Amino acid sequence: MMSLTDFLVVSAALFCIGLFMVVSKSNAIQILIGIELMLNAAILNLVAFGKYDRLNNGGQLFALFAIVLAAATTAVALAIILNVYRRYKTIDPNKVDKLRDE
Amino acid sequence: MNTSIPYQDISVAYYALAAVVMPLIAFFINVCLPGKTNKASGWVSTLAIFTSAVLSALVFSKIWGQQPLHIQQLWFTIGASKLYAGVLLNNLSVILLLLVSLIALPVHIYSTAYMSHDASYKRYFSYLSFFCFSMLALVVVDSMYLFYAFWELVGFSSYLLIGFWFTKDKAVYANKKAFIINRIGDIGLLVAIIILFTQFHTADIVQLFGDNGLVTQSFIKNGMWLAPASQLPAVYQYIACTGIMLAVAAKSAQFPLHTWLPDAMEGPTSVSALIHAATMVAAGVFLLGRVYPIFNTAELNALAIIGCFTAFMAATIALTQNDLKRILAYSTISQLGFMIMAMGIGAYASSLFHLVTHAFFKCLLFLVAGIVIHQMQHIKEENNLDIDPQNILYMGGLRKKLPFTFIAAVVASLALIGLPLTSGYLSKDGILIQAFEWSDSKEWYYRLIPIGAILASILTAFYIGRLIVKVFFGEFRLQKINPHIHIHCNDGGWQFKLPLLFLTICCLFPLFSWNPLVYEHAWIFSAFSGPGFLERVNIYHTIIPAGANLVNILVIYFAYSIYVKRNTFTFDQTGFFFRLSYHEWYIDRFYNAAIVKPILSLSNASSWFDKNIIDGFINLLKNIVLSISKITAGIDKYIIDGFLHLLTAIVQLIGNFARNFQSGKIQYYLFSMLAVILALFILKTLI
Repeated sequence: MMSLTDFLVVSAALFCIGLFMVVSKSNAIQILIGIELMLNAAILNLVAFGKYDRLNNGGQLFALFAIVLAAATTAVALAIILNVYRRYKTIDPNKVDKLRDE
Repeated sequence: MNTSIPYQDISVAYYALAAVVMPLIAFFINVCLPGKTNKASGWVSTLAIFTSAVLSALVFSKIWGQQPLHIQQLWFTIGASKLYAGVLLNNLSVILLLLVSLIALPVHIYSTAYMSHDASYKRYFSYLSFFCFSMLALVVVDSMYLFYAFWELVGFSSYLLIGFWFTKDKAVYANKKAFIINRIGDIGLLVAIIILFTQFHTADIVQLFGDNGLVTQSFIKNGMWLAPASQLPAVYQYIACTGIMLAVAAKSAQFPLHTWLPDAMEGPTSVSALIHAATMVAAGVFLLGRVYPIFNTAELNALAIIGCFTAFMAATIALTQNDLKRILAYSTISQLGFMIMAMGIGAYASSLFHLVTHAFFKCLLFLVAGIVIHQMQHIKEENNLDIDPQNILYMGGLRKKLPFTFIAAVVASLALIGLPLTSGYLSKDGILIQAFEWSDSKEWYYRLIPIGAILASILTAFYIGRLIVKVFFGEFRLQKINPHIHIHCNDGGWQFKLPLLFLTICCLFPLFSWNPLVYEHAWIFSAFSGPGFLERVNIYHTIIPAGANLVNILVIYFAYSIYVKRNTFTFDQTGFFFRLSYHEWYIDRFYNAAIVKPILSLSNASSWFDKNIIDGFINLLKNIVLSISKITAGIDKYIIDGFLHLLTAIVQLIGNFARNFQSGKIQYYLFSMLAVILALFILKTLI
């Protein structure tokens, strides 16, 4: 029997991996993947906490919504990355630093 | 317009005013004329004074012997006291008005020739016109305040003219001296005017000194000076009189304030003739005539003593002087002494009469001296000699070279001595006779006054005899010393001759009296003294003129024989009396030692005190303030500004630190965010 804790541990691990990727990778696509991992950790939590729902399958439904939204944001993010590449000829976020205070 | 006497011809007052203002207009015109030696200025001034003389003569003919004319207008009001300004024409004013303009006219004509080579011809005539204006105004004004104002102006124009050649050191010293000594007198007059105003609440001369005026009604009783409306302690009356005496002594060069007049001879000779012989110096006597009622017997005695002493002292000094103009200056002082003495002994009419006659003959003597000096100057320049053109020791025998001048000089000298047929006889012997009559009824020591006067008049005969003989008789001593010099002398043009002729005629008796021997018949005298005054009641009227003239003639012969023949005897030139006279009684030396030097050292000491102590103190203060401000500046710079700089440095540090986070690297931002959140969580768990 798998307890809630197991799910939460997996979710935490996923989140941490995602976070680490976001912070450490030097490729925008990889960062995006990290974000996806963190998002999925959150979705996993939703599904896991769905066990305690008063309404059946509420958590799963929310997870579906979140996945759809994540797909949408990823699409937008990919588009931004594409534009960044066009402009800077790189997608290394450490080199795209024109937003800083000069 | 407010006239004190109705039904009188007021236009006369306007004529008088016009006569006064003409020279002022000339002064302004001359100031505006271009060029320094503009010859037009001389004729402008002469024309103005000629007009004044004509108008004065007109005024004189209308007023003389008639009712006085007094016109005044409200000048200004201070508090409750109203001050009037106006014109007062009585016998005294009109005779002086006429006298001043009549003397000034020939002097102007003479000056056009005498000053013609001067570089400041225009300035000379401007000053001269200004003086004439002041003097004419002085004699007609009716208020003591205006009188004081013109009194000052007269002194000021005299100052300007004494220092006319202001590049000469001696002239500058002389005009300074004249001005300072006159200031002493001015203070006296001012004090007197203030006291009179305090006592009588008016400065109007008619109200104060007129017939039955306020001064006549006032008297001294129990130590108080009582006037109709007020009273003051009696001492104020004495102070007022002393002040007036001081003013008179300063202006009319009486002992002890006479020392400025001989030095005033540094001015042009024509100026000496007009101002320092005939008119301005008579202003003191005129003032006495105006305020005569204020003096009581004791004060009149003091005046008589001052006058007599001055007359005697100046005559003794004139005996040994060698400077032509200085002799005449001392002679003027001596004659002014006679006038003051005459005032003191109550011979009011004789005093004014002598003023008038003296003005003519002394002016004439000075003009003669001017011609002689002019000629000597020519000789000096022509032959490049190093002599003083005024020294009579170089002159002699000029009667052949300057015959016209010689005659004028002799007539003037005879008038000065007071020989019959001249005007001087009429006026001077009148004074002597009245001096004897005055002392008759008094104690024996009052006799000293007439005796002093007689002595002075005998000395007069000697010194003027010496002057004439040394200048006009004998041989020309300069030629004796330098036999090869060229001499071209003449009497000069009509501008020299006409004034001399006019004044010579005025020195003779017909102008003043139809009887050349009896002074009581002189019209000036009888107008001032009133009918029936001083009849020939006693022996003095015969014996004094006769005796005095006899002695005078002997003295003249004595002088002639000493200085021309040179064989009777020579004077001892080392004796005490000679030195006393030659050094002018050491009065100047005494003043220098007793007054000038202490004052100079006092001012030097105060200057030193000012420079070292007061300025030193100020400098010390300055240094203290400077160092305080330096300290403050340091505090401001290093402490206050330093604190602010520290603040900014800290802020900058923090800012720079915070800037590091804005690196533009997204991951860095995320990492920071994570760190913050973690820190928050950790904190939350710990607390």
